Amino acid sequence: MDLSSLRTHGSAVLVSRALSGGGFPGRFGERFQVDSTAWSILALAACGGSAELIDQSRQALMREQLPDGRLCVNRTHPASYWPTSLAILAWQDSESCREAQQRAVRFLLETTGFHFPRTSDVPSAHDTLLKGWPWVDDTHSWVEPTAIGIMALKTAGHGHHDRVKEAVRMVLDRQLPHGGWNYGNTHVFGKELHPMPESTGAALIGLAGMVEERTVARSLEYLEDEVGRLRTPISLGWSLLGLAAWGRRPSSATALVERCLANQDRYGEYETSALCLLILGALAAENDKSVPFLSISMYHDKRLSFSR
Amino acid sequence: MDTQANHRATEGLTRRDILKAVAAGLVIGTGLLVVPKRYFRLPQQAQTFVAKVDHYQLDIAGILSLGMQELGVTKAEIQGKRILLKPNLVETASEAPHINTHPLVLRGAIEAFLRLGAATVMVAEGPGHRRDTLAVYEESGLADVLTEDRIKFHDLNYITGYELPNVGAKTTMKTLTFPTLFQDVDWIVSMAKMKTHHWTGATLSMKNLFGVMPGRYYGWPKNVLHKAGIQNSILDINATLKPHFAIVDGIIGMEGDGPIMGDPKQAGVLVMGRNLPAVDATCCRIMGIDPYKVSYLEQADNWLGPIGEKSIEQRGETIVSVQTDFRLIDTIPAQQGIRLA
Repeated sequence: MDLSSLRTHGSAVLVSRALSGGGFPGRFGERFQVDSTAWSILALAACGGSAELIDQSRQALMREQLPDGRLCVNRTHPASYWPTSLAILAWQDSESCREAQQRAVRFLLETTGFHFPRTSDVPSAHDTLLKGWPWVDDTHSWVEPTAIGIMALKTAGHGHHDRVKEAVRMVLDRQLPHGGWNYGNTHVFGKELHPMPESTGAALIGLAGMVEERTVARSLEYLEDEVGRLRTPISLGWSLLGLAAWGRRPSSATALVERCLANQDRYGEYETSALCLLILGALAAENDKSVPFLSISMYHDKRLSFSR
Repeated sequence: MDTQANHRATEGLTRRDILKAVAAGLVIGTGLLVVPKRYFRLPQQAQTFVAKVDHYQLDIAGILSLGMQELGVTKAEIQGKRILLKPNLVETASEAPHINTHPLVLRGAIEAFLRLGAATVMVAEGPGHRRDTLAVYEESGLADVLTEDRIKFHDLNYITGYELPNVGAKTTMKTLTFPTLFQDVDWIVSMAKMKTHHWTGATLSMKNLFGVMPGRYYGWPKNVLHKAGIQNSILDINATLKPHFAIVDGIIGMEGDGPIMGDPKQAGVLVMGRNLPAVDATCCRIMGIDPYKVSYLEQADNWLGPIGEKSIEQRGETIVSVQTDFRLIDTIPAQQGIRLA
């Protein structure tokens, strides 16, 4: 499948799922979802999809924003504010969404997870005081929401903020000694835990342009070894994006994406966010410049220093 | 006459006598406070079935059918029902298939329920560690089995939720959000793996239900539940959801640093029953663990179900005939002092 076909196919599938008046569900025929909508905006924009549908969907996201700037899984669960970062990405470069994006940025900069000083009885190894972002209010900071938070704030022009710098340190602190990341624990009771491709991909995008390559070399190596085995859209999409953020593009990417798309016969139709990740990963692997959050680099800025 | 005598007796009490009586009352009252709540509950009864199963190539459907029959699960009860099987899929590692419920145990359960006339059997899980549920589904080998058997798999992490008041009220969570899918099923079957656990001592059919809580509301690794307290969250989920049946895969379980980093342990059993605390208590005894030392089980006793050996009617194999100590780690607090005497 060439890039043009992928764009046409991706765009057509997403349009078929779009809700009247904008916005996207998790699956065909279901209700509006914030995260699915944000990912669809990013994928549609990268595929050159309908500007009108993108705009309507951005407006739909704005209607979901709470007064303090957050966007939640749904309004009945205001604690689940992890989609806020995705909305910041989806609103990028939209004049009509600028104020909403600024409020979401402010929320993110003023919010953090639950942090506590390490005591001798804490069996995990990471620095529990370093602040990133949690999935859900009043819980600990974890790798993926933090990595996506960094991506969002970098994209929105806040890559120099102290919160971003601390979040970068947090993600580095959670890197597994043998390479890669999982959800966010490195050792528990003295044992190093297993890495996961999706967490590793997200962390690598967050750190791209913020740290020297040598600090993530083992993780890149892990992901390059792993990517050929991946068959599912979340793992493969994040992995291709994470590698592309560091200029690594597996030669087998197209075949992997085609196999993954074909696997819908086995797993059923992919959930919208997962499908969007796969589309974006496929485009990134072909060095396509339409994936917005991959092209932000701040490493050469003298004010930043993130050596471990 | 009696009244006058009582009056005189009261008149005869000194100030010291009254103070002594108050002090004695306080001592007794305080003593009652530290007696576990289970001693004040009415005893409950349950049945569990234990089968010896040496390996996964045996006729697991037949064994589970026999167990269900022994436990009084009849065709009349299952006919036309929609059955949801909830395995334990956490994450995968090439050298550690013993992390997850074995796919062939799922296949056996599917067949056993279909033989009893179930309208549909589905499998659903929301892994606590990995965001890519399909990857765990694939890499655990379950996708091969369910695809071949044409059984639907549901990813519970990304599903829309509905709220129920927290019946257990052991944590401060006012409500619990369950997958909407559960509104369309008749039976929820917890299909756990027999494992030691570094936070709770043992993870069995009750703890397995952490995986029904959607990640989109509870995060990864379901940190809302960890923060609320793991043991109490287990109780709240079970008290609110009221699952119908449990099957624990102990053919090859996990000992030591479970639920992920432990070593395989051949216990060679399948354990099942309608009451989850009773099933888990039986599993603990098989593993050489005292269920009264596992906090959530001790709290569940005679509330969500019995855990006393005398309160659980044992069908199939005796516990003694299959008992095999699972290795516990001295440096892990949740595993300290829980060995069955």
